[in-house]
Amino acid sequence: MSDRSYLGEFELMILLAVLHLGDEAYGVPISRELERHRRRDISVGSVYAALERLESKGLVASSLGDPTPERGGKAKRYFRVTKEGLRQVHETRRVLTGLWRALPDPKLDPKLDLP
Amino acid sequence: MRRTEAPPLATWLLEHGIPGDYDEALAGDLLEEFRSGRSDGWFWRQVLAACAVSWGRSLRARIPLFVFALIWSMMAPAWKVFTDGIESALSIDRILQSFGPVWVFAALAVWLLLNSIFLWAGISVFVLFQAGLREVFRGKMLRRAFLLASLIFLPIYGVTWVWGSLYWYSFFANTKMATTPLGQIADLQMLSGAIRLPYFIALFAALWSAVPQSIRTSQLQLVDSPPIESSTPYDSLQPESTLGVYTVKRFFGLMVGAGLINAMLAGILLCRLPGFYSPTFSTLLVRSILHIVIGVIAGVGGSWLYWKNPSSPIRERSPIPFPLFALICASGWIWVPPMAIFSEQLSPATAIVAAIGAGFLAIGLRYATFSVFAPAVPAASYESEDDELFSQSLYRAPWEAQGYVITFLLYAGGCALAMRLNLIAAALFALCAFLFAWNRTFARDQDLDARREYKRAALRLALVFIPAILVTIWALLDGVAHRNYIAGVNAARSTAEAASANEDASEQTKSPPSATGISGYQSVILWPVPEKKRILPPLPPQPSFLAHGTTKPLIIKFDGPYWYFQPPHKGPSPRAFQVRGTPLVHDFQTNNFASLIMEAHQTLGTSIPLARCREIQVGLLNSDNRRGIINLAVLLADSSSPGRSQLYIGQQPVASSLPANFGFKSKPAGETLRFPIPNPAKIRKFDQITVMFFPDASNYDIGPKVAIDQFQLIPR
Repeated sequence: MSDRSYLGEFELMILLAVLHLGDEAYGVPISRELERHRRRDISVGSVYAALERLESKGLVASSLGDPTPERGGKAKRYFRVTKEGLRQVHETRRVLTGLWRALPDPKLDPKLDLP
Repeated sequence: MRRTEAPPLATWLLEHGIPGDYDEALAGDLLEEFRSGRSDGWFWRQVLAACAVSWGRSLRARIPLFVFALIWSMMAPAWKVFTDGIESALSIDRILQSFGPVWVFAALAVWLLLNSIFLWAGISVFVLFQAGLREVFRGKMLRRAFLLASLIFLPIYGVTWVWGSLYWYSFFANTKMATTPLGQIADLQMLSGAIRLPYFIALFAALWSAVPQSIRTSQLQLVDSPPIESSTPYDSLQPESTLGVYTVKRFFGLMVGAGLINAMLAGILLCRLPGFYSPTFSTLLVRSILHIVIGVIAGVGGSWLYWKNPSSPIRERSPIPFPLFALICASGWIWVPPMAIFSEQLSPATAIVAAIGAGFLAIGLRYATFSVFAPAVPAASYESEDDELFSQSLYRAPWEAQGYVITFLLYAGGCALAMRLNLIAAALFALCAFLFAWNRTFARDQDLDARREYKRAALRLALVFIPAILVTIWALLDGVAHRNYIAGVNAARSTAEAASANEDASEQTKSPPSATGISGYQSVILWPVPEKKRILPPLPPQPSFLAHGTTKPLIIKFDGPYWYFQPPHKGPSPRAFQVRGTPLVHDFQTNNFASLIMEAHQTLGTSIPLARCREIQVGLLNSDNRRGIINLAVLLADSSSPGRSQLYIGQQPVASSLPANFGFKSKPAGETLRFPIPNPAKIRKFDQITVMFFPDASNYDIGPKVAIDQFQLIPR
C-alpha cells in the first residue's frame, strides 16, 4: 500500500471507533459510538459500506460471531483493525496534528468568520 | 406495548432490495437496534439508506459494464438493419412456410436468435477484453449471461415497441435511418436511440447478473499488486513476466489488430492517387513516403491507445517496452498503404504485399518475445522406427499440426485469389505468412538484450523501407494507369453518345467503373450463334403487316445479344467480354453480392407503328432447373425519337418455372408469353424490343437459363 494514501474523514472515525470498542466492535456499537460523538443519526448501511471498503483495502478484518435470539437468529460481524490500518491511523493523526499546530491561534476562534 | 418485530415490508425490502448477497449482519444489527427501542420510521430510514448505499456501490463497481453496454448497443441500429435484411429474404420465408401453422413461433425464434447473437457477441467481447475476468466469468456464469440476455431482451423489446408505437409512432414514421452501417452506428436520432434501448438494457442486465461483485475486488488486487522489480524497461527486457503467456499473447494480438485496423483505415481514407494525369517520379516518391509515414503513425497510434488503456494488464508489466513494440510493428505497418492502394484497384498484388508485411511483423515480434513465449525449436529430422522390421530404412515424419494449417491457408488463399476475392486472399496469405515466419524464427541465444533488440528492429525497418517505397510507387503508378484508362474510355464513350444524349453513358461516367464479377468478367455480351443463310434483320418492310385488315402475325426470329451486367451500370461496359452462344448452355454467375441483370435486345431495323400491333408474343426456351419464379418484362423503344422513348408493356412469369409446374427439364421447354400492347401509348412506333429477366431473390446472382426464340407481333 502506498504511504501517500490518507484516510477519509468518515473512514478515520470508523477506524477510531473500532479501535475504541476493541473486541465488541460490530455494527450496532460502532454506529452508536459514531452517533454519540457526532451527535446525529447515522446510517448503519453506510457504516457497513465504509467498513467493507476498509476491509478491501486491508485496513480492517472481520469475522462472524454466533447467532443470537435478540437479533432474530442473525450473527454479528465483528471487526478489528489490522496493523496496516493502525499504521494509517497514526500517519493520518501525524499529518492532521501537524496541520493543526501550524494553524495560527486567532484562526481557531469559532466565532471568527473566516472566508 | 412496544413491537418486537420490525415492519415486515421493510424487512422484505432489506432482504430482497439490496443487490448482491444478503447481508445478515446488517439485518441483525438493524433488528437489534429496533428491539432496543427504535421507531418504525427509524427502521424504514435505515433500510432505505442501506438500499441506496448498496445500489450506489454496485453501480460504481459496474461502471465498466455500463460503458461497455452503452458502446456495444451503439451498433444495434446497424445490426437491426442487417437482421431485417435476413428476415425479409425470400429463402427465410420459404423455410418458415414449411413450419405450417406454427410459423409464427418459428419466425419469433429466428428473430430472437438473430438478436441474441448480437448480445452474445457483446458478452463474449466483454469477457475477452476484461483483464482479470477470465478466471471468474466462465462456464456456468457465461451460460447464465447468454440465457439472461435472450430472456430479458424479448420483454424489453416488446415494451419498447408498444411504447414507441403508442406515443412516438408519428415521430418515428417520419424518421429515416442512415443508409450506411457507419451512419447507423453514429446516428443519434430518437429512432436509433429507441432501437438501442432494449439491446442496452438486456446486455447490461445480463452482464450485471452474471459478473459477480467480487470481480471488483479481484481487479483491485490486480491493480494494487506491487509491480515486479525491474530496472528501466529501456535497459533490459524482463526475462519473466508475471503475466501469463496466454494473457500476453492475447493482448499482443489485440495491439497488433488495433494497429492494423488503424493503419488500414488511414490507408483507405488518406492514401490517394496523385491528381496528375502523368505524375513525375519525384511526385510519386514524395507521395509514397507520405503514405508510408501515415500508415506507420496510424498503426503505432492504434496500438498505443490500447497499450495505454487503464484496463490493459501489459500497460505496466509488459515483457517488452512499447517503443520496441512500435519499432517492430512499424516494419509491418509500412506495407499497409501500398496494400490499401492495390486493394482499391482489385489487384492480386494486395495479397502478396499483405503476406510480406505479415512475415516481417511475425519475425520481429518473435525475436522480441522469446522471453515470454517458448522459443521455437527446429523440428527434429525424420525419426527412425527402431521397433519395426527393416528399421534402418523406415522413417516417420514429425507431427506438425501448424504445417497443415499453413498448407490449408495457402490453398484457401490461392482459391480466393482465383475467384478474385482479393481481400480474403490477402487475409489468408497474411495469416499464412505470419504463422510460417513465427514458427520458423528461432532464437539465436536466450540472453535478450534490449539495446540489441532495438538495433535489430531499427535495422529491419530500415531494410524494408526502400522496398516498401518502391512497392508503393508501383501501386501508385498502377492506380494512375488504371484511372487514366477508365477516364479515357469514358471520355470516348461520352463523345460518341453525346449526340443521342445517352443517359447510360453519362451515368457510367459519373460512377467509377468497378471490376464487378460475372463469372470473372466485368460484364458480358452473349451473341447468338448465327444461322447460316438466314438473314432476317434488318426486318424487310412488310406491307402486309402494315396494311389495314391484315390478321397474319409478323414473326421475328430473335438474333440479338444478351447483356449481363451489374448495377449501378445500365449496360455492359466497352470492355465487356463477348462470346457466342445461348443462355441455355452458358452459365453466368456473379462472384460478389451484387445482383446480376440479364437482358435480351432485339433490333428490328425498321420502325413498326404501335397502333397496328395488338399483342407481342414472346416465344422462349426454358432449361432452367433451379427452383424459383422467373419473370420476363418487355420494353419497346423507339431509337429515332428524341430521348429514346420507351414503353413498358408489363411482365409475366415463365410458366414452366412456376412452383406448381416445376420439374427437372432434360431438354429446353418451349412456351409463349403474351404481352398485350396498350392503346393509346406514349410512343407511336418502335424498332427495338428489350426483354428483361427477373429471377426471384434466391437466384439474384445467376443468369436464368432461358433463351428467347422468337417474337410474334399480332396485328390489331
